[in-house]
Amino acid sequence: MKRLLCIVLLALPLFAEDGAAILARVDAARNPLPSFSVDVSLTSISGTASESSKFRVYGKGSDRSVVEFVAPASDKGKYLLMLRDAMWIYLPSASRPIRISPLQRLMGQASNGDVARTNFAIDYNAAGVTAEGDSWVLDLAAKDPSIAYARVRLWVDRKTSEPSRADFYVVSGKLIKRAHYSEHGLRIEIEDLLRPGNTTVMQYAHLAPHENPDRMFTKDALGKW
Amino acid sequence: MIIKLALRNILRNRRRSAITLTVIVFGAVGLILFGGYKARTFYALRESTIRGRIGHLQIFRDGYSKAQSHKPLEYGIEDPTAIRKEIERDPRVKMTAAQITLMGLVSNGEKSETFLATAVEPPKDRAMNNQRLTAGTDLPDGESDAVLVGAGLAKSMHAKPGDYLTIMTTTTSGSLNAMDVRVAGIFMTGVKEYDERAVKMPIAGAQQLLQTKKIEKLLVFLQNTDETAAAHSAIAARVHGIEIREWSELAPFYHQVVALYNGIFGFLGIVVFAIVVFSVANTILMSVLERTREIGTLMAMGTTRGRLRAMFVGEGIGIGIIGGLLGVSAGWLLATIINHGHVMLPPPPGYTLGYRLEIMLQPPVLITAFLVSFVTATISSIVPAMKASRMKIVDALGHI
Amino acid sequence: MPSNDVITLKSVSKSYPLGRLRVQALHAIDLTIARGELIALAGPSGSGKTTLLNLIGCIDKPDQGRIVIDDADVTAIPLHRLASLRRDTLGFIFQTFNLIPVLTAYENVEYPLLLQNMPRRDRDLRVRRWLAQVGLADQAKQRPDQLSGGQRQRVAIARAMVTEPKLVLADEPTANLDSETAAHILDLLAEINTATNCTFVFSTHDPSLIARAERVVRIRDGRLDDRQPATASRQQAELLTA
Repeated sequence: MKRLLCIVLLALPLFAEDGAAILARVDAARNPLPSFSVDVSLTSISGTASESSKFRVYGKGSDRSVVEFVAPASDKGKYLLMLRDAMWIYLPSASRPIRISPLQRLMGQASNGDVARTNFAIDYNAAGVTAEGDSWVLDLAAKDPSIAYARVRLWVDRKTSEPSRADFYVVSGKLIKRAHYSEHGLRIEIEDLLRPGNTTVMQYAHLAPHENPDRMFTKDALGKW
Repeated sequence: MIIKLALRNILRNRRRSAITLTVIVFGAVGLILFGGYKARTFYALRESTIRGRIGHLQIFRDGYSKAQSHKPLEYGIEDPTAIRKEIERDPRVKMTAAQITLMGLVSNGEKSETFLATAVEPPKDRAMNNQRLTAGTDLPDGESDAVLVGAGLAKSMHAKPGDYLTIMTTTTSGSLNAMDVRVAGIFMTGVKEYDERAVKMPIAGAQQLLQTKKIEKLLVFLQNTDETAAAHSAIAARVHGIEIREWSELAPFYHQVVALYNGIFGFLGIVVFAIVVFSVANTILMSVLERTREIGTLMAMGTTRGRLRAMFVGEGIGIGIIGGLLGVSAGWLLATIINHGHVMLPPPPGYTLGYRLEIMLQPPVLITAFLVSFVTATISSIVPAMKASRMKIVDALGHI
Repeated sequence: MPSNDVITLKSVSKSYPLGRLRVQALHAIDLTIARGELIALAGPSGSGKTTLLNLIGCIDKPDQGRIVIDDADVTAIPLHRLASLRRDTLGFIFQTFNLIPVLTAYENVEYPLLLQNMPRRDRDLRVRRWLAQVGLADQAKQRPDQLSGGQRQRVAIARAMVTEPKLVLADEPTANLDSETAAHILDLLAEINTATNCTFVFSTHDPSLIARAERVVRIRDGRLDDRQPATASRQQAELLTA
């Protein structure tokens, strides 16, 4: 359906159609299950030091997920609700969830979470496609000014339609983050280009279908189940 | 006759009267010096707060204070130019300055810190003159990506003038933006906690970073602080769609200082008052006791108790007036000497810069000092006067 | 019809506390004094003559009995309400002169008239008259500490007379004066008594004063002993006051 829309709306050269098509395949590969659960292992590397944490993510569609903090023990009991436009955190010590402002999402791992779950097909238009070795290089422009990263440059393997690398740019054109995808999307390495030497590695495991009711993805339900 | 008697009795025991007068004078001088110091402090703090930071009035878009915005400048002023022109027509207005406040992350390539930026119009900011540059230069006109960094933040970012930092924040629509900025200068405001987070940047740069043409607020500076209320009404009548806040609502620290100083000096004032009252009462009481036989004689001759009380209270009033006048003169003289003496005081809590000791001499303080002396002396004479009037004639006459 | 009596005491008693004891100063005194009399209250010290004088002068209150002054019964009236009566009807002369040190002779004499709110011109006439009468016209501007004992007592006399009282009370008026000065003062008092018909009551143990009195009221241990006529010889007077 989306494909058809793209063809109709963008009476553009072949590349544009291919761009949208490629994007669609990328997202399909990255989000195979409509309702799922997955274990995430996150390692934050800063120079020679590193820190690990573990989460369990429950997702529905590509824009709703609840993150349960599993490790370290000090974070146990915390939950994160990530919706398309808003993010909420639930801390066991607080009586209700706290909304995380877009500014606060700049900081710490919340920003990497945003990067990891970027939905290319929904949020971006393919403005140009070029070929580079084994990959398509797509120039993506955000459809809406509220999208976190205004521009993305995406490298997609021609054969598998799996992304291998993505460069994330802000409105001013500055390159902020770079993601490297491997193990068929089960491993993402995100470089913080404002602070060279700082990388986050997200490892996914046990991705499985899971029945997640809709009401789970509301702020009032957060932490109560 | 009562006046004549009162004055002559005051002069009767010169030394004792001199001591009493000295106590009253000390009290009056204390009131004038403390009161004047307090007044000067309030005035200086008020003016520096207004002229250096908040302005006399702040103009926002109507609804700003009630709004809960999740996006920056959701309730900003859309078109400031027309509003400014209208406001600047009022001769009471000295200048207006547009500002935006924003938060974000600043990074030097190794670490990030949160920052709190005030985006200003560089020429207006220079006129406000509220920070001391410890390195580099002020924000240049025309360069939208030069910034001033607070001393604490500069230290934490290992930044010096000429270095580049990256600032990052979310735009008005919610997406991320980042900008490389050049450190033009490093400043100190005197408040340590502020300097650890503060950034000053050109408003043009902020608007570019936030992807907007709006401003958050307009600061209005008047020629004279006393015209604030009048200017407020005038602007409210002529300009619509805005909210106006007066400086008083925006200066909690100033009000806290006022309350604190008033509390301290009020307490000191009470202590001084009590000392003066006891001292003067004691002196007049001694005088009463010495004149016991005289009092008995006066009563025998038919002086009523009321008239007798009036005599002694009259002495109290006389001492109060003389003491008050002397005290006010001495206080005024001492204050003038101090003001010309250029005494420097250490920095108050939370500040890093010291300041000059100055006593503000205002008619209300001088009049108050006089009145307090007068009232104190009068009150002090009441108990001795009562004692005199209650003496038994026979016992008084028989007194040595 | 107003009587000729200036003051009447009926069964007047007075005691006062001395430590934990009560001393009875006067026992049921009856005394009547007529206008113009020159009376000496005579008695040894401790006899109660000063107490009696104080009661007559309305500066003390009896425990029992009645006091009538100028046809008005003042027994029930509290002392401080008698101030205007004292001001208008009585005059006081003290052993220790009791002038107000910060006022001049003129001003001391003037004081009672100020209490009476007399207008300035009238006051000035009276003060000058009485200062002249006591022979101190030239000393009007001097303060008590610049005057001799005799001069001070003269000022006191002028002050006592300036309101033209009906009764003047003097407690040992000559006790602090040398005999020559005392004699002059006595002459003055007698002169005034004759000239004005003002009643004079002294308490004294000065025999020459007792001799000058028309009537001597003797007191001993709080009781009256009114026997000797004014013409008693000096010698007899001396004996009686022993």
